[in-house]
Amino acid sequence: MKKLYIILAVLFCLYEGRLSAQNITIRGTVTDGQGETLPGVSVRVKGGETGTQTDATGNFVINSSPNATLVFTYIGFQTREVAVNNQTSLTIQLQTSSQELEQVVVVGYGTQRKSDVTGSVARVKGEDLAREQVLTPTQAVQGKVAGVQVISSGDPNANPTVRIRGVGTMLGGASPLFVVDGVITDDIRNINNADIVSMDILKDASATAIYGMRAANGVMLITTKKGQAGKMVIAYDGNFGVRQAANLVDLADAQQYASYLNEASTSNGGNPLITDEQLQAGGNTDWYDVVLKSGFRQNQNVSVSGGSEKATYFLSAGAITDRGIIQTNGLDRFTIRSNNDYNLASWLKLSNLLSFSRSRVRNVNLDIFNLAYRAAPHVPAMVDGKYGNTSLSNNVSNPLLSLDKTNDTGRGTRLQGTFAADVRPIEWLSLRSSFGVDLNFFKTVAYNYQFDNEGPNNVFNTAGGAQVRPTSTLNVNNLEANKWVWDNTATISRKFDLHDFTFLAGFTAEQYNLNELKGSRFNVPADKDQWFLGAGTPAGSTNDNTGDKWTRSSFLSRLNYAYDNRYLLTATIRADGTSRFPRQNRWGYFPSIGLGWNIVNESFMKSQNIFSTLKLRGSWGKVGNDQISTDVYFPIAATNIPYFFGGTELQGIRFDQLPDKNVKWETTEEFDLGLDYGFFDGRLTGEVDYYNKTTEDALINIRIPGILGDTNSEYTTNAASFTNKGFEFSIAWNHRLSDDLTYSIGGNIATNKNEIINLNGGQALRDGNPGGNQGFTTFSDNGQPIGSFYLVETDGVFQTAEEVAASAQKDARPGDLRYKDQNNDGEITDLDRVFVGAYIPKVTYGINGSANYKNFDLSVTTYGTGGGMIYNGKKAGRSEARDNREAEVVENRWTPENRSNSEPRATLGQMRASTYFLENGSFWRINNLTIGYTLPNSILTRAKLERVRIYASAQNLATITGYSGFGPEFQTSNALNSGVDLNIYPTTRTFSFGINVGL
Amino acid sequence: MKQKHMNFATLLIFIVFLFTIAGCNKFLEVEPQGKLTEDEALSDPNAATNLVAGVYNSLYYGGFGKTTVGFLYALSLDVASDDTDKGSTPTDFAQLGEIDNFTHTPNNFIFDNIWNGYYSGITAANRAIDILNESTFDEGTKNRLLAETRFLRGLYYFNLVRYFGGVPKLIRVPDPSEANNAEFQTRATRDEIYQVIIEDFQFGVDNLPLKGETPAGRATKGAAQSFLAKVYMYQNNWTKVFELTNDVIMSQRYDLVENYNHIFRQNPGPNGNTRTDDDGGNNNIESIFEVQTGINVGENAVSPLYSNGQGPRSSGGWNDLGFGLNTPSQSLARAYELNDTRRNASIIFVQPTVAEGSPLNRGTILWDGFRIPTQDSVVNERYNYKAYHSSIAESAPLSGNKDNKPKNIRLMRYAEVLLMYAEAAANLNNPAEATAKLKLVRDRANLSSSTLPGTLQNIWNERRLELAMEQDRFFDLVRQGRAGTVLRAHGKNFVDGKHEVFPIPQTQRDLSGGRLEQNPNYPQ
Repeated sequence: MKKLYIILAVLFCLYEGRLSAQNITIRGTVTDGQGETLPGVSVRVKGGETGTQTDATGNFVINSSPNATLVFTYIGFQTREVAVNNQTSLTIQLQTSSQELEQVVVVGYGTQRKSDVTGSVARVKGEDLAREQVLTPTQAVQGKVAGVQVISSGDPNANPTVRIRGVGTMLGGASPLFVVDGVITDDIRNINNADIVSMDILKDASATAIYGMRAANGVMLITTKKGQAGKMVIAYDGNFGVRQAANLVDLADAQQYASYLNEASTSNGGNPLITDEQLQAGGNTDWYDVVLKSGFRQNQNVSVSGGSEKATYFLSAGAITDRGIIQTNGLDRFTIRSNNDYNLASWLKLSNLLSFSRSRVRNVNLDIFNLAYRAAPHVPAMVDGKYGNTSLSNNVSNPLLSLDKTNDTGRGTRLQGTFAADVRPIEWLSLRSSFGVDLNFFKTVAYNYQFDNEGPNNVFNTAGGAQVRPTSTLNVNNLEANKWVWDNTATISRKFDLHDFTFLAGFTAEQYNLNELKGSRFNVPADKDQWFLGAGTPAGSTNDNTGDKWTRSSFLSRLNYAYDNRYLLTATIRADGTSRFPRQNRWGYFPSIGLGWNIVNESFMKSQNIFSTLKLRGSWGKVGNDQISTDVYFPIAATNIPYFFGGTELQGIRFDQLPDKNVKWETTEEFDLGLDYGFFDGRLTGEVDYYNKTTEDALINIRIPGILGDTNSEYTTNAASFTNKGFEFSIAWNHRLSDDLTYSIGGNIATNKNEIINLNGGQALRDGNPGGNQGFTTFSDNGQPIGSFYLVETDGVFQTAEEVAASAQKDARPGDLRYKDQNNDGEITDLDRVFVGAYIPKVTYGINGSANYKNFDLSVTTYGTGGGMIYNGKKAGRSEARDNREAEVVENRWTPENRSNSEPRATLGQMRASTYFLENGSFWRINNLTIGYTLPNSILTRAKLERVRIYASAQNLATITGYSGFGPEFQTSNALNSGVDLNIYPTTRTFSFGINVGL
Repeated sequence: MKQKHMNFATLLIFIVFLFTIAGCNKFLEVEPQGKLTEDEALSDPNAATNLVAGVYNSLYYGGFGKTTVGFLYALSLDVASDDTDKGSTPTDFAQLGEIDNFTHTPNNFIFDNIWNGYYSGITAANRAIDILNESTFDEGTKNRLLAETRFLRGLYYFNLVRYFGGVPKLIRVPDPSEANNAEFQTRATRDEIYQVIIEDFQFGVDNLPLKGETPAGRATKGAAQSFLAKVYMYQNNWTKVFELTNDVIMSQRYDLVENYNHIFRQNPGPNGNTRTDDDGGNNNIESIFEVQTGINVGENAVSPLYSNGQGPRSSGGWNDLGFGLNTPSQSLARAYELNDTRRNASIIFVQPTVAEGSPLNRGTILWDGFRIPTQDSVVNERYNYKAYHSSIAESAPLSGNKDNKPKNIRLMRYAEVLLMYAEAAANLNNPAEATAKLKLVRDRANLSSSTLPGTLQNIWNERRLELAMEQDRFFDLVRQGRAGTVLRAHGKNFVDGKHEVFPIPQTQRDLSGGRLEQNPNYPQ
């Protein structure tokens, strides 16, 4: 303790010592070339630690010695140095920078001037993220960066799928790595969009290799806001809106349904399935109307920031309510963030970044969409408080009852924090140690109500059927996860003449622990206040407790070298160890090298004024992926496998999982060639890139023969290799037509060619069974993209008996689909399947624009994909004869009178997997349209406000797509079966209005 | 710089920290959390016993997933025979309908799930055998456990070889590196598999205790003898059949249950309340081997859907008992002689719909008092009574989930031993013994008024009636060499030289890289 006092005393003395120098106070204003004041300009004393920022009106106050030099820096403007020379009042004009690329980007364990970067790095500004009325920052990136595919979901609590430069892995970990303020994390749903300053996306190995083990799928670095020294800034943002399904599938009504089924049955010599009496007595239910709703949504944030030279603070609070679009669905989330910096001494800075979030989500089983898709329309949803008995009519649970009789509510609490110390013992050396923790508590209480389907308490209007729950059940699940990451880095920056060196070396360690405690009871009373395990009956109670733990440790280093701002070199190497692999394969080594040539800085370019930026860059590197479940290489016994002997239960064990005891790192070798360009003083800027990634030893669950006795006939091993290649192109045009009118327009487009080049010695993988008798639909084989559809091709509809007789389908009848007998063996079998595309889009693109006219602003963002295919699994997997049909299928069906050549005749059975169910998944969507109006200064000054802007916004305003399902975007956990549309939450559309206030 | 000395100290501390942590490679050694690893399991003295219990557990495989003797297996065999039809509504469970009509293809998932279920069980057995062989138990215990495991493996291969013909022979757990060897990936011959089966059952005969000397449910000497007799029956080795069945009979451990309709209940006696061995219930005096089910918290000590899948199906107005699959055929219903008590004990007959104004028909009252309404509220005309599990008088799953009704599946009964004995006697020119044992079985079925001679034809017919819907008929017809004649007469598309066995699942053929040959006349 005594030691601590001494240290503190020493620190204090040093600190005081610095302040007691003979200083003068300087006041001033900073303006741009037009004389407009600039807020937020950094002002610091050259060679010292004193610094401040201009306030909202461009004014600053700073103490310095009378003969010091002040440095003014501001993004987008040229840095200016001004000698004080005993002046106490200064007016500084900053000139706009000729290069937009002068911005600083976050590159992992540090920052770099964009012009010095040799890798492919893209930046999205926080304000552009905050404009999108979506729940997660990742979703807001959609369409903004070339080569970044974001697959969104309408589900309020969903974590969007992100794919950078194609699908880089087959197992779960195909998502990029997220790094929030330097701390590695997997889930950024706790981050409030309004709190983000920027998101930097690292795409190639030169940029990502510093995150070696996790970087195979790219890295997204998020920087959250911090306070700026100077006046306290208070901001409020509020947004209120309504969400609804953007597109629904038109299903057959009761009349259509009955006529279709009856025709199908009678044409096979059967009896009508739906009698007129049943039709008369029933209703005409649009089940989607019944289960969907327009959901209210609001998002409000308030933040306070500011500080002094000694400390800065940023405190924000946000609240989101999103009711979803399904009955009973909903999300509430509350977040608090506190980011503080403490400048204890010129050589020591401490900082903390703390975020707390609390969320409550009422989940719905997404199978509800499937139920609503299938449920018979002549059954009423509800009559006089009694539910229609759909399970009796067509073996489908009543979707409304399914929703009503389940309450599955999750409550999450998450505390994420980083504590860091930055030490700068000498000018050219900085040391940083940061400790990040992520505590995550999630509690789920799921109550399934008891209900009868007969007797006095029958909930149905008729008795019977399969939908019944004899006893209520309560499931409680308590999950507690904690993770810590400790990063220690040292950075040396030196400059000798024209040689610029920056060398970074570091060590990191990471540990994750999960503890999940679960229990269930029967017969817990239906009253919400009774939903505790103790309120249930002991008989049949279960409890379980499971855990997970993994660790990683890594050494990393990076050298940046620049010669005369013309020739650039970045070399990195990282060694990663992970507990997820067995000892002999534990360590992976991930090197990269990047070269850059700033052509525009060459002497021969000095005289030209067309190019403001011209940089050629190329990189090569290797990165890894360890995202598999923790215990994959251990033979694990299944325990508590019971058998009764002499009436007594004995708990047996069985080793029924075959582990690969030799699993190893999956590595991706990447090559990137790029060009950054800027024309006309930076008004037109952009980048072109070519990338080529080869993933080797990709971890995959391969199907193994049943004779090996594995419980699910799956084996996780390093079996596959595949490539992702493509071009990326982005362009942006910024123009100021007059003082009143500025506009910008930008676009990006990326191509991707995904190809499997080696698969476990040629064994291709089947997946994507939509249900029933369809079998597999995707076949991932050599030379094809991952998850390629492999189907029998349809070739119109049989019109006559003669056509049938001449075909390979002797059992068919006119009106049936005709399939191509590819191998001409006279029958249609699986051998007639061919490759017909994959879900992975060949092209993704975004076109974005904005304009400001006087106090009005307008912005549009759009996003599209092309070349992906979708298998309509809802339609294809329909195996129950009495399931409802799409209105289109009913209306256009083949009949002797209506000889369609695309829709087959009415049929009860399930059709085989074929291209009949395959549709084009390309789409283009207006993601966001926002129109805003900023109140004029005259009003604001009277109200003593800095800024007030009101706006109206539409999210997912319109989608143009050929796909007939709910929407062309959906998430699947497995790359092998992506693109099979099953229980998909429809894309939603949000209309909202909002207000931004600054004090 | 003023504070240089201090800064170097900081740097030093920093570097020391760095190497302390980094040097600690132990940090990366993380054992699975809360999961039993191989090393831990095998250091447990009870491991061998528990592993054997894990093998028995594979008898529960069922539902729509991988299966051994459960739902998919049982139904596929019954509907393939003339005992039952697919049942339920016409469009329900088309894959089972394909088997009923012999239009099945190698892609039918039922075959794949049966293949996977049996090999999963065989792998569990092989692993237990490997470990038992290394264990340090006393010889007696070790051999008993080995014999139980080998009994189950023999049973599994016996079912497989009859279902698919020759199959890959695995009698040890292959290392993953050698899993792709032709040794495992190609089919052994029928004879090679029968050799495994005979050795396994013979080991059981030599090392298993008699019934009553081991807890009910464990394999016994009698069970091994009975199954070995059945194996020899399929090989027409009648001397062996006679010897082995005779040993079972002479063991004095078994007898026929007095009332046929009590055999398949959970509890003995008419009301299920008197505990006498000779009056039925689970593990009754007639039981030689049966799958033991029970009520437990996980509801996983049952063969899922075995009972509910075959339960009477409502067409509205009442809360039904199941899916209504595997319905007894008209041919079966007509095959019984008058007064044969087995007819009403094997088949639930649904009462016809009552015309307007006619006297009220209360429907069908089951043994436990459960009332099934008349035909207008029921999908099918007949249901399997042997798979019925009473929700009134017998144990119910704790959650009320009907899929998990605890129904013991009878895999070998003494009645079958008597019939095997009779058939062996008939084949060995001992008609008197054949007639005598046949009479025992018929007498119990209330057919004592007449005595049928013990001819092969009579014995075969008796097997059908006695063992109806016990997954014997289809294999029996094939064994008797008359499957084509009988099943075509029954209106099925049975093709000789093809349908005697089911096709090797296409998925498995693909996974073998085409090395698993298909059975004759199925699509290659």
